[in-house]
Parts: sequence; C-alpha cells; structure tokens
Amino acid sequence: MLKPEKMTKVVIVGTKDVLEQTTETLHRLNLFHITDYDGSESGFKIGKPHTIASKLSEHLVSLRSISTQLNLSEKSSTEGMVSAKELPSMIESNLSQLEEEVSNRQDAIRAAEAELKTQQDLEGAIKPLAALPLSLEDYTGYESIRVFVGFIDNDIEDVIRAETSQYELYTGSFEGRGTIAVAVPVEKEVEINKILQNESTYMELRPPKLEGRPKSFLGGIKNKKEELSARLTELESERERIKKDYAEFILSSEEYLTIETQKAEAPLKFATSENSFVADGWIPVDRYDELERTLSETAGGNIYVSKLEVGEEEIEDVPIALSNPKVAKPFELLVNTFATPKYKEIDPSILLFITFPLFYGLMLGDIGYGVLLIFLSWIIMSKVKSGGLHELSIILLYSAFSTIFFGIIYGEVFGLPLFNLMHHGVVETGILAINGPHIGMLHLPVHRFAAVQPLLAMTFVVGILHVTLGLLIGFRNVSVEHGIKHAVLEKLCWLLILFGGIMAIVPAMPAIMGSATMDTQDPIFRGGIVLVIIGLILLIKGEGPIAIMEIPTLLSNIFSYARLLAIGLSSAGIALAVNTICKDVLFAQGGVFIAVGILVLILGHTINLLLGIIGPGLHSLRLQYVEFFTKFYEGGGTEYDPFGFIRKYTEE
Amino acid sequence: MVAAEAAGLVAIGAGLAVGLTGIGAAIGEQSIGSAAIGVMAEDPGFFGKGLLMTVIPESIVIFGLVVSLILLFVY
Repeated sequence: MLKPEKMTKVVIVGTKDVLEQTTETLHRLNLFHITDYDGSESGFKIGKPHTIASKLSEHLVSLRSISTQLNLSEKSSTEGMVSAKELPSMIESNLSQLEEEVSNRQDAIRAAEAELKTQQDLEGAIKPLAALPLSLEDYTGYESIRVFVGFIDNDIEDVIRAETSQYELYTGSFEGRGTIAVAVPVEKEVEINKILQNESTYMELRPPKLEGRPKSFLGGIKNKKEELSARLTELESERERIKKDYAEFILSSEEYLTIETQKAEAPLKFATSENSFVADGWIPVDRYDELERTLSETAGGNIYVSKLEVGEEEIEDVPIALSNPKVAKPFELLVNTFATPKYKEIDPSILLFITFPLFYGLMLGDIGYGVLLIFLSWIIMSKVKSGGLHELSIILLYSAFSTIFFGIIYGEVFGLPLFNLMHHGVVETGILAINGPHIGMLHLPVHRFAAVQPLLAMTFVVGILHVTLGLLIGFRNVSVEHGIKHAVLEKLCWLLILFGGIMAIVPAMPAIMGSATMDTQDPIFRGGIVLVIIGLILLIKGEGPIAIMEIPTLLSNIFSYARLLAIGLSSAGIALAVNTICKDVLFAQGGVFIAVGILVLILGHTINLLLGIIGPGLHSLRLQYVEFFTKFYEGGGTEYDPFGFIRKYTEE
Repeated sequence: MVAAEAAGLVAIGAGLAVGLTGIGAAIGEQSIGSAAIGVMAEDPGFFGKGLLMTVIPESIVIFGLVVSLILLFVY
C-alpha cells in the first residue's frame, strides 16, 4: 500500500546441464523478472537459444496467420484444458494440413468475391443500355463513326443538328434518367464531345465489348450472381465450421507454442560461459525462499541461488510490482496508464481509490443515474471477466455508489427533486413529497441550482486540500530521493505560497468585492503576506527567478476544481431540460404527444447518462493526472514482468 | 430601469464569458484532437492518453464558467 512491493536482486548460477530444468522451473514459478545480460563481462557470452526455438516460432507464425484468416478471437469461457503433453504430436500431424485447408478456402472465397464484383460491374454497365434500341456490338468497332453513350436529362438534338446533319440519335430512359446514344462521323467527334461535356447532366457510359442484345445478357448475369452468392455462403459456412472445429486446437497450440518459445529463447537473456550460466534478476522479497527451495529441489547441487543487496545506483532498475489491497487494485490501471511509479515513489493507487469516485460522485450526483450505472457496470463485469475493461467496470461501480450518495445530498433523481424544494419562493414538490431532513449542520437537499455559491466555495476547498496532499507527497518523495533540503526548496515553498496566499486573500475578500474597506493591520493577512514572501525566496533559491512564472499555474490548478460543480450543473441542466420539455410541453398536450414525450424522455436521459459517464470520468481523471500527479509524481519505473505465463487453454 | 439594464449587461457578460472561452477551447481541442486520432490510427492503445490530452483545453471553459457564475450569483 502506497509503496511498490519490496524487491530483492537475485543471481542464479548453475552448470549448463541443469539449464533446461532451471528455465522450466523458473517459467512454472512465474516469479523471476530476468534482467537481460548485455554481454559486457569478459568470459561470459549471451546464451544461445535452444535449437528447437526456430521451428517453434515457425509453427507459431503459421498458427497466428491461420487464426487471423479465421478471424478467431479469444473465447471468453473455455471448456476444459488441453493437456500440453498431447499437443506436440497434434501440431505435427494437423498444422500443415490445417494451414493448407484454411488458405485454400480463403483463396476460393477471395476468387468468388472478385468474380461477383466483376459480374456486378458488368450488370451495372449493361442495365442502362437495355433501354436503348441497339445491340452491344453497335457501339464500337467502326473506323469512321464514333458513338457517344451516356445519361442525359435534357434534349440536345437541336444543338447537335446545328453542328452536323450527319448523325443518328437514340434515346431511352432508365430509373428516371434519360439515356442517349449518338453516332456521328469521326471528323465531328471533337465538336460533339464538347457539346456533350458542356451539358451538365451528361454522364458518359462505357459499353462492354460484347455482342448481342443487352437484355439477353441480363438474365445470364443474374443467374451467375445467384450462383456465386450461394457458393460464397457455402464457403463461408465451411470456414465457420473449420473455425468451430479447430478453435480449441488453435488457441491451445498457440498458447503451448508461445510458452515453449519463451522457454527455448530464455538463454538469450542469460550470461553463459563454456560450462555454466548466470541469470540475473529480481523477485519480491517475501517470495525469495520459495524460489530458492524449488530451484535447489529440481537441480540439486548443481545450482547456486543468492540474494544480493540492492545498491543505490541500481534503484532505477528495480522492476515495479504495485501492491495494493484488492479493493484498490483496479486503480493501478489508471496509475500505470499515466506512468509506472519509480521504486522509491509513493504509489497513488489507494488515493485514487478514494478521490476518483469522490470527484465522480460530486460531479454526477444523481440517484437515478447512479442506479443505472450500477446495472451497467454489473453487466460489463459479468460479460468481461478480466483485463482493462473489467477493471474499469469495477471503478465505474465504485463511482456509481458515490453518485448515489451525492444524489441523496443533492436530492436528485433523473433531474427531478427528491425532497420538496424551495426555489424563488415557490415550493416544488419532490418525489418523496417531504421536506429534506437535517443532518447536523447540513440541511438536505443541497440543490445545485440553488446553492451555487456555497458549492463553488466547496470546490475550491476540495481543490486546496487535494493540491496540498499532492505537495505533501511530493515533499516526501523529494526528501527520500534527494534529501530534505531539496524537498524544502522544491515543495515546501509551494505550500507556503499556497497557504500564505489563502491567508492573505480570505480577509481581503470583502474589500475586493467592494463591500468593506481593507484592514491591513489584520494579523492573519500580514502573516499570509510573510509566508508568501518566505515561500517566494525559497522558490527563487531552489529553481531560479523563472519559477515565478509558475505561480499562476497554482491558481489555475485550484480554479480547475470548479469543474466539480460545472460538470454537475451541466448534467443536471440537461436532465432538467429533458424533464421540462416532456412534462410541461409534451405531456400537457395529451394524445400522441405523450408517446413522443416518452421517446424524448428515454432518448434525452440516455444521452445524458452517456455524457455522464464520459464527462465526470474524464474530468475526475484529469484532476488526478494534471492537478494532483504533477505535484509529486515522476514515474518511469519498469513494470515487474516475471518470466512465465498464465495458462488459459493448456495444462501441464 | 438602470438596475434592470445593469442586470442585463451582467447576463450578457456571463454569456460572453462562457461562449468565448468555449470557442477558445474548441480551437485548442481541434488540433489536439486530430493529432490524437492520428496517433490512435497507428496504435489504438493511445486511446486513453489521446482522449485525456484532448480534454485538457476544456479548463479554459471552466474558468469562463467560474467567471460567469461569479457574475450571476456573487457579484
């Protein structure tokens, strides 16, 4: 919690005859994060991959190409595991045959599709010509005559006649447009072409070089098209059949081959001499004993495992395994999306677990939307069992609960008031038709439209607290990494400026608003000014005068939290608008308008809910990334990626 | 009469604060958005980061909104 898991550096030295067993064991344990050997030590060379590696990767390439061609996706549920022992013989006997079968099908499908396209093009070219009283051979093949064919909407016979008396003109109509065929002597070709091109509705057609009446072709083309479509459906269903029959084989062999390739290529990461090998890497401290015990059990006396002290200069290389309670785990995704923390840095996942849903709820704050979001996240969770989307849906679930909580405080259900509401002296009856209860100082509901001022002030308080927390963590990070002096110069100065500024501005507020005169003797005001000056001196000492430019950023960071209110106001505003349109405008008319009203109601709230997922989600995250993380977080660690594989389709 | 006029001017000011900042943010988001889509076309994994970068100029509208809220409710 708050810190990445403690790691230790491990060196494994063994004789070459146990190399294979050791790789096997390490892979099964899935614990050891291998540091690649860079070949810099004299006497040790980078290991050679196992001879089988190239064959395995060849198989893997064919398998992956098959699964792409079949458009095979990972199954969400698996029916039992395939034994890894049976797979090598199955791969040998099935793979090449399967590959041929799939690629033949694929070729046939492609050929049929191409042929279908040709027939469609031909049909498209012939159909308009069927309206004209000419055969297909009439259009081409002359030496002294040029035939123009095309769509045209206006009569241009007069224009042509003015150019030449030697012409033949045929017209027809196709799908509401006129068609035209004009035959003219070759010497008039240019002029007639010009006339046609000047006619804006003219679109030239290119008759295919065939003989016979257009109509006689159309029947044949239609039959051929039907034949091809049928063949295509048949081929596709065959492909589906192959996909279904071989899905398990393909997925499990792919997994098996991936694992075997990993193992066979592992020596590439090791340092090897003539008779021995050395593997260097990292492992969580509390798993070290397990690793040592298992390795010596499998390799006997031919292996030596040892724990090394982590030197100061090696801190940068430690792989990072985030360690958080299960409830906060999903938020590691958000932290890693930004950057993986460094070994000595605070891991903010657990803080996001609190503040992300908090901000989300503050923004959306509606019981109705909250309940819908619980359903939505539950649906996603039950459909997607693992991966980023699953974790996002858990985050959405937390956020939904927070949304309901703030929905109760704001007293809103789909934008309608939950409790009775006083607004401009008029009482609006709420859904529960009761007055809101008093809880301590708080008088529910705190309606967002009615309480803009206090809520705006609250967002600034939230902002100041959040930014302060960020600066405090920053102080801790810098003092751990570079010492307390740097921490004071880099982070404490900002805290002084922030709080000095608040102390100076709050007493001056009435004067700024013009309602009172300024009391410059106020000790709080004076204390604030002093703090700001001390902070400024430290800041300039630490980062140079240019850092003064950064001060407005602090102000804008805190103003930025006004979005907690702003996003909520806009979402509540849309809900209110939808409700008003339906209730006061459409439902009041009665009759068919009630149906329209229901439609508007559903559509409006659906859109608002979608905006309500995207808006608060992104803005809550943005407050974390931009306002909070920048105060302390550097990141840049390497993620802990142990040598191994989590099997999904195969078992040993 | 004067009070009503003043209230009207405040409302116009509030509207301008949101509207003009909205235009500003839109201009900013336009270029970031197209760059983000370009990156996403290369690597869909950048969806999250791209989306995040795209909404960063929206702060300006928030500032505008704060100004307009202060004008309408506080001033």
